[in-house]
Amino acid sequence: MIKKQLLKIPFIIFIIVLSIFFYLLIIDRNPSKIPSALINNSVPEFETNSLFGDKKFYSSKELKHEITLVNFFATWCKPCRDEHVYIQRFKDEKALNIIGINYKDNPKKTVQWLKKLGNPYSNIAIDSNGRIAIDWGVYGIPETFIVDSKGIIKFRHIGPINKKKYREINLLIEKLR
Amino acid sequence: MLPTLGNIALFLSLIFAVSQFYYTRKKNKIKIISISVKGLLISSLFSFFILIYLHIISDFSVLNVFQNSHTTKPLFYKITAVWGNHEGSMLLWIIVLTIFNYFIFKLYNKKNYIFVSKTLEIQAFITIGFIIFTILTSNPFDRIIPAQENGLGFNPILQDPALAIHPPLLYIGYVGFSAAFSISVACLALKNGKNFPWYKYMKPFVMIAWTFLTIGIALGSLWAYYELGWGGWWFWDPVENASFMPWLIGTALLHSLIIVEKRQSLQAWVLLLSLLAFLLSVVGTFLVRSGILTSVHTFALDPSRGIYILAFTAILGSYSLILFGVNSKKYFNNNYFTFFSKEGAILVNNIFMIIVCSTVFLGTIYPLLIEAMTNNKISVGEPYYNSTVIPILIPAIIIMGVGPILSWGKENTSNIIRKLLPSLLITTSLTILFFSIYKSFSLIGIAGILLAFWIISNNLVMFYKKKFNLSVGMIVAHLGVGFLILGITGSSVWQIEKISNMKINNEININKYKIVFDSINEIKGPNYLALRGNFLVFDKKKNIITTLKPEHRFYPITGSFTSEASIHTNIFRDLYIVLGEGNLNEGWTIRMYYNPLVIWIWIGALTIFLGGCISINRNLKKLT
Repeated sequence: MIKKQLLKIPFIIFIIVLSIFFYLLIIDRNPSKIPSALINNSVPEFETNSLFGDKKFYSSKELKHEITLVNFFATWCKPCRDEHVYIQRFKDEKALNIIGINYKDNPKKTVQWLKKLGNPYSNIAIDSNGRIAIDWGVYGIPETFIVDSKGIIKFRHIGPINKKKYREINLLIEKLR
Repeated sequence: MLPTLGNIALFLSLIFAVSQFYYTRKKNKIKIISISVKGLLISSLFSFFILIYLHIISDFSVLNVFQNSHTTKPLFYKITAVWGNHEGSMLLWIIVLTIFNYFIFKLYNKKNYIFVSKTLEIQAFITIGFIIFTILTSNPFDRIIPAQENGLGFNPILQDPALAIHPPLLYIGYVGFSAAFSISVACLALKNGKNFPWYKYMKPFVMIAWTFLTIGIALGSLWAYYELGWGGWWFWDPVENASFMPWLIGTALLHSLIIVEKRQSLQAWVLLLSLLAFLLSVVGTFLVRSGILTSVHTFALDPSRGIYILAFTAILGSYSLILFGVNSKKYFNNNYFTFFSKEGAILVNNIFMIIVCSTVFLGTIYPLLIEAMTNNKISVGEPYYNSTVIPILIPAIIIMGVGPILSWGKENTSNIIRKLLPSLLITTSLTILFFSIYKSFSLIGIAGILLAFWIISNNLVMFYKKKFNLSVGMIVAHLGVGFLILGITGSSVWQIEKISNMKINNEININKYKIVFDSINEIKGPNYLALRGNFLVFDKKKNIITTLKPEHRFYPITGSFTSEASIHTNIFRDLYIVLGEGNLNEGWTIRMYYNPLVIWIWIGALTIFLGGCISINRNLKKLT
């Protein structure tokens, strides 16, 4: 005969599972946040074409002399448009050096897009086949990295930058400066 | 104003639900209960139709319409977008709840007032919970001021016929278990619950829920197969798992109910399973709506929704499971079980289902658990499920072939072998035939094909003999499972994938087919622009079999790209081709799959559905 105690097991398991769910809900956690193996490591080197003029883009030249925000974006990505105001504010209000990496996009469209929305980027690298994004471990665009003056990645954010992230990144930049 | 009217209807249904809850607790109030039940049904249907109408006329003063629709969208998808988003789908959930509520009400007869009233009381409680949730956190009639000129559009990958009916079917499944839940709680809460034929009431609901859950999951899977363009049909995505778990419990429940009906044993077990089936459905909803995990199904992230559903689940689960802990003892009996009997086979399979369900459950929450404790992200994927689920399913399927031909009570061993001989012979010869044609061997492949033919031949033999007095619905459904295994094995063991960069006039070989990239052109759809490739498929004798036309679509309204795979199907294999990124100079990325036997998955699911429908029909007739 089944012991009476056994009948309480479903309830106990249920309560344990529920507590886990509850804990996960209340902790400040972002399910799309993925730790990056690149944090505190040097930026992956790459060479590609620059969007401006017929110049080449060398990561070694662009990313090693001052604190830089690296932003993966594309014109076909709606959240990129949403965060564009904040990228612009980094430029206007904080005078931050900003490098854009134009992910799987049409260069002509990108130029038009920037004309319309403003161009906060000091230079833009073209990542037509997504190779650079793979090296950087990009999960999905938009994605933003902060690189310090020695070319070390200090911060990574997946998804569009909003008000809260804007403040967070500002604090980080103050600290780095 | 229509949105206001919709809101009023929603509030009205809340009032009716409360009144149903209140009056089912009183004696002899059948009249007012009847009014509440019907009022609830009508008012919730009314609010749902208003929402549909608002979507049809594209009333962009309504936030829900603005966020999910656009004037250029075809009418069909304007309608299906109603349940393609969180708020509208909650309304659909409520509708299904109230429809099942109505059917429970229909169970009333002269002798069972107490029992049906108790069941309706629980059902009303569940309904109240979901209506309040909808009104507080996800009201589909919320307005946007000022009204907008046009909407944001609807996610293009959701604009698809299979996906249009996927949610309603799935909800019939999930919510159908609510009726079993209410009946089970009524059994446990009432002192004399055992005196009512509760399992007879429960069976048709479980059957409906299980049958529709099956076809709902299959449609979602079919959609993922041709729309996502990944070549596969099941990805062990947390939300797929969330639907798979109630299905497993539902399978166990459905079969155990037969034992209760025939042998009066396992009653407490069935009561527990019916509680778990619905609780897992609600937990599934929680996983999808709370943003606790990311997947293709997750709706908007809103923690307040998560807290609410979790709190509600806590109430439902604690109440019912404590009741079970205290009161289920009276449903025990000491009937003797032998392993070699029909009930023995069903019980063993029950245990396998529970183990599979626990394994899937663990795989789904384990990454969350690890993250909560260590802050590390891990991912549990296909290798885990393949190595844990498949070994448990293999014995379960072997038993499934034998179970139906065993007798109730006791069966002697020599008799079993005599009964199994014809299907053993058929299985062996079919398997030999199969491998002499395909000539590709692997352990899993042989096991899967053997199992598939084992199930198919057993059921064909049963069908042919028809002297075991077995239900036709069961045989058809089991036959469907055989087809399903055939398809699953074929497509997962012998799939061939080729990814290459192709320019016009390039050719590539996959299996025995030669595929030539003939041309590419621009086309204009109702709300999208697309590049369409033309690929000529030649067989060994250099005859053209077909032209595959995969598309790369751009939807200007949502600014998103989708790939439309092009598939050529016959009963032996699918040829599956996806057009990726590229241009005329550099060529396009083309992904190609040779997927053997895939169509048997869909044939199998449809056959199971058919079998389920036959059984539902038979059981409903028994009830009336």
